[in-house]
Amino acid sequence: MRAIDHHAWTNRWRNRHPAEKLAPAFGLLLLTLLLPPLTTGPLVLLLTLLATVSGAGVPFRAFGSVMAVPATFLLAGAPFLAVSVSFAGGVSLHFSPEGGQLALETTVRALAAVSCLAFLTLTTPLADWAPLLRRVGAPASVVELILLMYRLIFVFAERALIGQRAQAARLGYSRLDRSLYSTGLLAGNLFQRALDRARRLDIGLAARGYTGELRVLTSERPLSWLRLATALLLVGFIGLMGGLLAREWP
Amino acid sequence: MTAPLLAVRDLGYRYPGGVVALQDVNLQVQKGRRLAILGANGSGKTTLLLHLNGTFRPTAGEIRMDGQPASYDRRSLIHWRRRVGLVLQEPDDQLFAATVEQDVSFGPLNLGVSELETRERVSEALAALRITSLAQRATHTLSFGQKKRVAIAGILAMRPEVLVLDEPTAGLDFHGVMQLLSVLRQLHEAGATLIFSTHDVELAYGWADEVAVFHEGTVRIQGETTAVLGHRELLRLTRLHPPLLLEVAQALGLDAGSLPRCREALLALLRERAR
Repeated sequence: MRAIDHHAWTNRWRNRHPAEKLAPAFGLLLLTLLLPPLTTGPLVLLLTLLATVSGAGVPFRAFGSVMAVPATFLLAGAPFLAVSVSFAGGVSLHFSPEGGQLALETTVRALAAVSCLAFLTLTTPLADWAPLLRRVGAPASVVELILLMYRLIFVFAERALIGQRAQAARLGYSRLDRSLYSTGLLAGNLFQRALDRARRLDIGLAARGYTGELRVLTSERPLSWLRLATALLLVGFIGLMGGLLAREWP
Repeated sequence: MTAPLLAVRDLGYRYPGGVVALQDVNLQVQKGRRLAILGANGSGKTTLLLHLNGTFRPTAGEIRMDGQPASYDRRSLIHWRRRVGLVLQEPDDQLFAATVEQDVSFGPLNLGVSELETRERVSEALAALRITSLAQRATHTLSFGQKKRVAIAGILAMRPEVLVLDEPTAGLDFHGVMQLLSVLRQLHEAGATLIFSTHDVELAYGWADEVAVFHEGTVRIQGETTAVLGHRELLRLTRLHPPLLLEVAQALGLDAGSLPRCREALLALLRERAR
């Protein structure tokens, strides 16, 4: 999580207007969901990979590690889609070609969809795109909640890490039973701290004139219509290719 | 004589659980002065500071601003906090936004300042704290000292008349303390009234015009720094010690009018004597 956040804040496209990244990412996501996956999926995957690694300059390893977890789940789940269970005359498993096709299509489609989000999370910090949610009609309190959670996750993650190190220094994780005990203590401690932190943040924000709305400036970045148009053209091209190839190659 | 900017009168505070935190506190804050509230850890300094911007409401006594008793309705509190800015000891208690610029903009926007002027105030506050280069950084990637300065900038952008700082130097290294003090010096020269709590006698001696000695939930004495910190018996009773600079000056037999207030002044004096 730290690594993702680090890249989001430091990549080459960090200071581009968020719409230039959001629009193509969601465009590709839409294509992935609508068009035949076996042709569109790989194209989308390739484009997001190129955009993230060659475009924004995020290391390939980072892209790989973001994709790794969902990919593992997908690959582990795919065989079950290919196989059907029959209860007629005892339990038996059948492999069907249609099932195989379905499993392949679902896996490719899901991987491509995840890659769109991987591109977005690795190139655009949450602070940039959350305010845009408000513009498209999300309630202010939801956006505020997202931003507050984002801020506090790091405060607590740091606390948890420090606490865990301190416990480990006193051999709190030496055996399985001690590990369970220590983890429980740490969780309880963090919960208490969370409540305490909320109370103190309330005082701190009140000192700054907080009256129920967390309004902040959003940084103004010039939107490059040229870049946006190029990106959308590229998305359109991928869609066309995906559709045409699927017709040629049923 | 005009009424003090802030006056605390016979203030008492009892926590909801019944524990008495403050009792018969009296304190005057004059415009343009630097006041140190000096006391040991856990003596109730933070609780007192939280009264100075209306966060806590006294269970006895009152607070006056410009001679008028403070009121605690919504409008008055907004007005109060515009005039009195409080910087908490722990910057994470005050910072909530994802980037530095966003965070500093929060206070002015709450005061109803226009976006355009807010931008101006943000860059002014960042420049005053010498952290302009951090504007687009993520809050959670800053060091403690940087967070502390962002927290001060966030209050400064509200342009308060009085800046209240809870243990401003706690957790900072020597370099950090020096930078912070030089920022505070500039603010003071620009006309700000400063109140800060500390347990550091040397800091109070080198930095404050006035000292209020705080002990066991009350102010024992408030007065000119050199007078208060020369009061050995009182310091001993309140678990404090006389500042080293003062002790050295006294050992040298200097008279009260020419006491050095910082190490450079003392060293210059010693060199002159050695000649």
